[in-house]
This record gives sequence, structure tokens and C-alpha cells, in this order.
Amino acid sequence: MELLCLGLNHKTAPVEVRERFAVGSAKLGEAAGELLCLAGVTEVVVISTCNRTEFYLAATTARETLALLEVHLAEKTDLHGIASPHFYRMEKAAAARHLCRVVSGLDSMMLGETEIFGQVKQSYHAALQTGATSGVLNRLFQRAFGIGKKVRTETSIQEGSTSVGNVAVDLAEKIFGHLKDSEVMILGAGEMSRITAQSLVSRGARSIFVSNRSFDRAVELANDMGGSAVRFDDWQRVLQRVDIVISSTGSPHAIVRREDVEKARRARKFRPLFFIDIAVPRDIDPTVGEIEEVYLYDIDTLEQLADEARARRQKQIEQCERIIDAELAKLQLPGT
Amino acid sequence: MDRWLLLSATLLAVIGAVSGMVAVHRGHRSRWTTAWMLLVLICQLGFLGIRGSQREACPLGDRGEILVFLSWSLTLFYLLVGPAYRISLLGVFTAPVVVVFQTIALLPGVLALRPEKIVGGNPLHETHAATSVLAYGALALAAVAGIMFLVLDRQLKEQHLKSGLFRNLPPVRELLVSLERLLWLGGGLLTVGILAGFLMPHDSAALGHLLAAVSVWIGYAVLLGVKTVRGLTGRKLSLLTVILFVLSLGVFAFV
Repeated sequence: MELLCLGLNHKTAPVEVRERFAVGSAKLGEAAGELLCLAGVTEVVVISTCNRTEFYLAATTARETLALLEVHLAEKTDLHGIASPHFYRMEKAAAARHLCRVVSGLDSMMLGETEIFGQVKQSYHAALQTGATSGVLNRLFQRAFGIGKKVRTETSIQEGSTSVGNVAVDLAEKIFGHLKDSEVMILGAGEMSRITAQSLVSRGARSIFVSNRSFDRAVELANDMGGSAVRFDDWQRVLQRVDIVISSTGSPHAIVRREDVEKARRARKFRPLFFIDIAVPRDIDPTVGEIEEVYLYDIDTLEQLADEARARRQKQIEQCERIIDAELAKLQLPGT
Repeated sequence: MDRWLLLSATLLAVIGAVSGMVAVHRGHRSRWTTAWMLLVLICQLGFLGIRGSQREACPLGDRGEILVFLSWSLTLFYLLVGPAYRISLLGVFTAPVVVVFQTIALLPGVLALRPEKIVGGNPLHETHAATSVLAYGALALAAVAGIMFLVLDRQLKEQHLKSGLFRNLPPVRELLVSLERLLWLGGGLLTVGILAGFLMPHDSAALGHLLAAVSVWIGYAVLLGVKTVRGLTGRKLSLLTVILFVLSLGVFAFV
């Protein structure tokens, strides 16, 4: 019995090709069961996420099955000859190694991301429940999960936030701890503010106030996020109660001036205040950051922190791959 | 035997401090700090137990004993506060302070070699001494939390966010909440200690000590009053807590 993998991902195929091969999470087991009808195939697991679709098979001969599988998929998606250049094909040990890299987040668009681990687990369980797996793939996937965990615990591959929104949320947690007691104000109802505020809400932020020059837009965003809209000439009053301010208006000059914050300090009893300025040109006068209890981070700093985290993760790849190779060498998996 | 126990407590605190610092430097949580500090507390209890039975009273008969009692109180409050608020790093900052206090106590002449029995002990005197030193433990820990806040505040302000220390420091708000609670606890104990001090029989020689203690009490009362009524920035609160604690050690000059 030989192991093989056929797949495409964000590096090899554009979204218009990837979406043709995407399988809904409810249909993963069914899709795996369907491929068992191919000649020589004894076991199948189908993995499908927004960035990849991969087929792991155990078959009598890997090479022949790869060709059969490709034809089957081309027929099913009606993409004869179009999809072929986007596929990657792997056999035996290379397929096992690839799965370990995927599970460890080394093959993800966001290097080291953790979501893929759960997605692969879900795909494997779907195939297991359909009865599409047996000795070869059961052992391979269980070992791959073990290796994935080892990689994540023994390296820093998942450390640090790699997006501006997550860096801001991590900083908010470093200042306020659990965000359940924190209130957030958004100045400017832009997309970036919305994403960052949503991340804060998902981590427990208690309430959101939205202030925008167009009050209707503020109301709309506030309703979307379960918050309250504030008239733009009234945000200074709200500043007295909030802990975090996210600003991304399109204003050509600073909206939040030092004197605005100075006025609110007394009423705030000098509690810590975190400003996230993601606007260009900046919305918050840099001298606001000189106020003792204020922590001010602008878009460049947040980007730089995200870049540094990405670079740190990049440096970890070699160590992760060493762990994968060493673990696979120890295991002598069937089909490899 | 008592000195050996004190030496062991000091060495264990050194191990706790060093292992904690190494873990933090590597960016890991200092998991074993609490365990090391628990062992420190056991040795300190052994020391204080022996000295207490020798004196047949609360072992606060000389500066060495006061320093060890203070270290014990500091360790005790760390063990009560640190794990409860998941501030294991507080131990990494506390252990060096314990090492310094106990090393001074171990210096020749600081600790009486043959502690004399305290005759005619007065319960008010013992209450005064014990609660005051306990108060100092809480206030010392508040100062340690203050130093931790100042380090974190500086790192956040200057945007130096890569160090292992930064990753392991507890959030700003949690540090400030712990600091304020410790100040209230220390202030409360100090109030009891000073009241007992006023009520116990004392001669004119104790006037300096009493004045110094009252000044310290007023200092902390003003700090807590201003913080509660008007509010204070974390930086000012921390700085004042550290300064007040260092100044308040001067009270022991009159013991």
C-alpha cells in the first residue's frame, strides 16, 4: 500500500480555481467515501479550507492512482486541462511530510496559524466516520497531529501576532488583561476600525461606541457590532469612560488633540488609556502619547510589530522542519 | 540550627530568583518560582519558630529578627497574592528583595547569637511589633508590584515589546489593582500596629520611633486618599509606593 497526496492551495492556484475544488465541511466525509470507488484506492481523507483542497489516499500504486484521481477531479469540476498545472502531487514519505507541514501551519498563508490544525482534524474525523480510513491513514493522521503539537510547543512558530488587528488586540490585553471590563470607542467608521473593534469584541470587550462624521454610518456600524452610536461632536464626553480608542477617520488633520485628552484625565481618574491610530494621515496628535497614562500606537508601529512577528516565525521554519523530519524518521509509517 | 535554616531560606530564594530570571529571559513563564518561595517560607517559619521559643515571645528582639520577619511576611503575601492573580513573575521580583533582607540579617552582629528571653512581655507590644512587620511585608510587595509596573510602563511607552520579560509581565491594570489592594492591606495592618504602639507602655526614648511610624502612616494615608478621591496615574502611584517604602525602612533605625 502506498500513500499519495494531490492538492492545490493559495500558492499554486488562484481563487477561481480553488473554489471549484472546495468541499463544504458537511460534505468532507461523503467526498472521501466517493473516492473509494477509484481502482486500487483503499483509504481517503479530503481536506478543504479556503486556501487549500487536498486529497490523501492510500492505494496499491501511488503513481497510477494520482493519474486516475486527477482525471476524476477534472471530470467532476469540468476543468479538463485547466486545473492540472495548479496541482501538486506527492507520494509516500513526501506526502506524509507535506501533511505534517500543513498541520504545523508551515504551509499556511499566515505562517504558523493555528486554525488549520482544527480544520485538518475535522476533515480526518469526517473521513473516519464515513469509514474511508484504515491502518495507513489513521496512523498517518494521528502521528501528524502529534508532530503538529510538538512543533507548536517546541518552537515559536505561533508566537506573536502577524496582523495589525491582532497586534492591537494583544497590546490591549497587555494593558487591560481580560477585556470584559473594557470599553471601546471607534472614531471613523472605516473597515479597518471595524475589523479591529470586532477582534476586541471577540475577546470580550464590554461595549463599543461608534462616532463618525456621518451619524447614519455610525448608527449602521454600531448596530452591526451591538454598540452605541455617538455624535461626532460628542466623542470627547465618551472619552471619559472608555479604555480603548481606535481611530481611522479620513481627516487630513489630527482629530484627537492633547488638550482633548488632558480635559478628560481628571474625570477618568488617570486610568490607563490605549489609543490605536490606524489612519493615514494620523488622527491622533503624537504628543498625546506623552501623557503619562496614555499608550499610543500608530499604524506604522503596529505594522512593524506584525512584520517582526512574521520574520520571527520565518526564522523558525528550519527548526520546525528538523522536528518533522526527525519524528517521521522515527515512525516508519506504513505507505511511506 | 536557626542560622542554618536562615541560610537555607536565603539560598532557596537565590535559586528561585535565578531560575525565574533565566525562565523569563528565555521568554517562558517562571513556573517553579512559587514552589521555591514556598520552601523559603518553610525555612523562614523554622527559623522564626526556633527564635520564638528561645525568646519565649514573638521573635522581634533585634534588627536581624525584624528583617527575617519582614522577609517572611513578604514571602507570605507573595504566596497569597501571586498565584491568586496568576502573577508568578511577582516572585521573580520578590525573591531578590528577600535575599537582600536575609543576607543583611546574616551579617555578623545583626542577629543576636544567643537571643535573650524577653521578660515581662506585653501583648500590646507584641501586637504592635507583629502587625507592623506584617504591614511592611504587604507594603514591600506593593513596592515590588510598583517596580514591575514601572518596567512594563516603560516598555509599552518606548514600544520595546520583544523581550521575554515583557511577554511575562502581567497586564498593567492587574498590576495596579494588586498594588492598590496591597497598599490597603499594608495600611490597615500598619494602623493596627501604630494603635497598639500608642496603647502599649513606652518611655520617652520611643518618641523618635513613634514619630517616624506616624509619619510613614500619614504618608501612606495621603497616598491612598489621593488615589481614591482624585485618582493617580499608574506611574506616580508606583513611584510613590516605592519611594515611601524605602523611606519607611528608616523607622527601623529607631528600634
